[in-house]
Amino acid sequence: MSDALPAVEAAAPAPARRGRFTVRALARRRAAVIGSTGLVLIAGLAVFAPWVAPHDPAAQDLGNILAPPFWDSAGSWEHALGTDALGRDTASRLIHGARNSLMISFAAMLIGSLLGLAAGIVSGFFGGKVDTATMRLGEIQLAFPFILLAIAILGVIPGRTPLHLILVLGIPGWIVYARVVRSRVLAERERDHVRAAAALGARRSRQLFRYVLPSVWQVVPVIAMLDIGFLVIMESMLSFLGLGLPPRFPSWGAMLAEGRRNMVISPWLSILPGLAIMLTVLSVNLTADGLADVFDPKLRKGTFRRTVLRLPERAEPDTANDHGAATRRAAAPPQRSVEAGARHAPAASGSALLRVRDLKVEFPLPGRTIKAVRGVSFDLGRGETLGIVGESGSGKSVTALSIGQLLDSPGRVTGGQILFDGQDLTRISDRAMAALRGRRIAMIFQNPTASLSPVFSIGFQMREAIRRHGRLHREEASRIAHDSLWAVGIGDPDRVLGQYPFQLSGGMNQRVMIAMAMAARPDLLIADEPTTALDVTTQAQILERLRDLVQAEGTSLIFITHDIALVAEHADRVVVMYAGQICESGPTEQVISEPRHPYTRALLESVPRPDLPAGVRLEAIPGELPDPASIPDGCPFAPRCPHVMDVCRTVNPDQFPVAPDHRAACHLWSPDRTRAGTP
Amino acid sequence: MTAPLLEVRDLHRHYTGREGFWSRRTRTVAAVNGVSFTIDEGETLGLVGESGCGKSTLARTLLFLEPPTAGHVLFRGQELNRETTADLRRRAQIVFQDPYTSLPPRMRIGRILAEPFLIHRIGDRADIPDRVSDLLRDVGLNPDVARVLPHELSGGQRQRVGIARALAVQPSLIVADEAVSSLDVSVQAQILNLLKDLQARHRLAYLFISHDLGVVKNMSHRIAVMYLGKIVELADAEELYNRPLHPYTRALLAAVPSVARTGDSRIKPAGEPPDPAQPPPGCTFHPRCPLAQPRCRVDPPELHEWLRGRVASCHFALSDIPPGETSGAAPQGAAEIERS
Repeated sequence: MSDALPAVEAAAPAPARRGRFTVRALARRRAAVIGSTGLVLIAGLAVFAPWVAPHDPAAQDLGNILAPPFWDSAGSWEHALGTDALGRDTASRLIHGARNSLMISFAAMLIGSLLGLAAGIVSGFFGGKVDTATMRLGEIQLAFPFILLAIAILGVIPGRTPLHLILVLGIPGWIVYARVVRSRVLAERERDHVRAAAALGARRSRQLFRYVLPSVWQVVPVIAMLDIGFLVIMESMLSFLGLGLPPRFPSWGAMLAEGRRNMVISPWLSILPGLAIMLTVLSVNLTADGLADVFDPKLRKGTFRRTVLRLPERAEPDTANDHGAATRRAAAPPQRSVEAGARHAPAASGSALLRVRDLKVEFPLPGRTIKAVRGVSFDLGRGETLGIVGESGSGKSVTALSIGQLLDSPGRVTGGQILFDGQDLTRISDRAMAALRGRRIAMIFQNPTASLSPVFSIGFQMREAIRRHGRLHREEASRIAHDSLWAVGIGDPDRVLGQYPFQLSGGMNQRVMIAMAMAARPDLLIADEPTTALDVTTQAQILERLRDLVQAEGTSLIFITHDIALVAEHADRVVVMYAGQICESGPTEQVISEPRHPYTRALLESVPRPDLPAGVRLEAIPGELPDPASIPDGCPFAPRCPHVMDVCRTVNPDQFPVAPDHRAACHLWSPDRTRAGTP
Repeated sequence: MTAPLLEVRDLHRHYTGREGFWSRRTRTVAAVNGVSFTIDEGETLGLVGESGCGKSTLARTLLFLEPPTAGHVLFRGQELNRETTADLRRRAQIVFQDPYTSLPPRMRIGRILAEPFLIHRIGDRADIPDRVSDLLRDVGLNPDVARVLPHELSGGQRQRVGIARALAVQPSLIVADEAVSSLDVSVQAQILNLLKDLQARHRLAYLFISHDLGVVKNMSHRIAVMYLGKIVELADAEELYNRPLHPYTRALLAAVPSVARTGDSRIKPAGEPPDPAQPPPGCTFHPRCPLAQPRCRVDPPELHEWLRGRVASCHFALSDIPPGETSGAAPQGAAEIERS
């Protein structure tokens, strides 16, 4: 592995393209489909109005005034929707009204959006006085009632034309676009890729048009859609007031106003244009919703929700009888791994607090399924600290989250057992899990500030948590909160209790989270990358406190990290994970000093340790981490393994014992294989 | 005597902002507060410090991506100012931390790598695809990668593209700002090796910024330690690790988790770094320092050459830490300083 150039890698073509306009993405929202179909129909009528309309909208048939529509007994198909007070055909006037209404709205939208886009870009990208001036102008305009302004302007213009209407409706709309575009530009401009372009010497205009704009313009179509809906209403309103189009142009608003006079004898004259306005605006808004989904992949994927999913609940609650559970589950496919799990269990498994057996977790996504955890088994003794170490995609965090039943949607446990004190957590009710969580099983995460509510004080949040679990009085809860903050090394708990999470540093917030978790004296604490976001000096302080606390309380700890050195310092036992599987497990000291799995070995060698001489070449692991959606057959590490054999590419190795209580999932340690020296 | 490749003299970068929405008082944060160092051709200077110490601001300021408040940056003895930065853009480049935001999301890799040639009008337009292929091969990627969009690549592959983009203008200095911090360990080692190979091949100098002392030591010839906007110690990489002078360096080293710890000679600083807007008087490290004396509270130490080629800004750089004493004065209380 000492070649000067790393192996030339093939580009991984990913099938899923995010943020792309796809018909499928739009179709996923049925409402959007209905809306856009309606919109296409209305727009079609508008565009082809002269050919579609059965009559000239202005042609008067004075012998046939106020004719009822076809469904009335007196109606005829000659004027399907009847005629108005001058004998003009209502259907034709509606169709031509759509043409005028949509054309004016569309033209006004174009003016507003272009002005707004330009103003937003200039304002956001150049900032300073230009920005202040633009935004103040917009605020003043927004404070002035738009309809009043429109009436004032249109009222004084002699000889109104459609162009006047378009300008009056269109220009004031700029501020809506400008504000959104500006905030997007502000965010985008600070991105590293724009900085990199600046460092390359790209001019401001190049930075703007090539780097900032491509990520910004997508917000415009969505706002434009909504804007059209608003403009259709505004145009109708002005026409209704007699300030819209000159009378020779048919318009929904004007039709509504005229129909009002004959409301009693021919109600359809006002109902029909009203309906037209409503349907148009509805179609536009539904389409806008769909567009928003297409342009914002976050909304579409919906993966930001955290939900609890579990296997179907049993009819009768299973009381601590895991043997029964095991036999009943024996019909499920993977017997081999269940056995492997059983073999994995240490001799004194009876005293284990947590026994995970052949755990499988999947994330079904459209078109593919990510197998995040593929048959993981381990035991955790009372008061023991287990380190789970692995890189991204190894399944270490998913394993932890499924113990706490906090998997991200759409993740679900698809097999195996999580036996906590004899209870299978994959099969208990929400209520039973809620009772365990926090009280007997506590979790802390990487980002403490996100785990705390920003609107409540630390003291309030801690008291609430403590009271919920212990049904204590306020004073008692306050005292426990105070003491547990002291226990995690906060010197002045009273001050911290009165503060809010944003007033504290990340390190302090993590101390608060640990204090909160430990206040309930849980049997099991799961710490998922608890110090990854913190500085090394803070990390050292916090982990030392945590270690002292769990030792003093006899709490079992699962410590999940990507940093094998942290595990080496803090865990009694270690589990090394790769691609959703355990590749090695055993007592920490032994695994670190005598790693048996080639991955563990490589992981240890690729860390640039400070005690290595400066400038040494690291033993890097060639290749990339496997794509969790398509893990190859056989051993998942085989493509990167220096000791790969033929069998590795086809057979996924069992957990083979390599020393007392030390196992490695590697064919090099298969009992079938004559061991000709260590690998 | 030839001038060093890069010389930074007393560089400052201050930010001024209003104290609150209604407040008329302003407050100034000295993110970079008088930093000086040099980098020679082909040398790697490591810059290590914790979050908020000003190391990334320093990177951006010395490349004139942000205007310095005061101070001088000299490139091969020539002073740079805002007008002469066009030249700098071809001599110094930067590689960022996050491979997910450092590449424009809607540009194909080939286009991203063509940009430097287009911006600087280097060579013939027709030759650009060949040059892009060469760049991709240089960083260990398949030239076919040119056809894909950034999100179709893994983090490690993207970081290689980021490095290739920096190499396009054939710079003599690359600032690597936490360039491997968001990569997985196994991929991180590949990128570190790649950076070393490229250094040898192209005689590059690096300013290698990281919070990870192991990574910095692996990459650097010399290392500068930064705390609250200032360099507090600068030394040869090996010497810094063997005998750290500044108590902050000692604390940093002791805090690094290690699979091969020998003994437990840890010194831990109490509490957390102070708010840069309200730095403590005297030595800014004194509230957390196990060696602090009354003098440290009033008298800010200057960088002083305590041993040959070893500078540190501490009044007691050569003192040993008394046994049993493991942390600063007050247990926690006084030293736990919150951002407020």
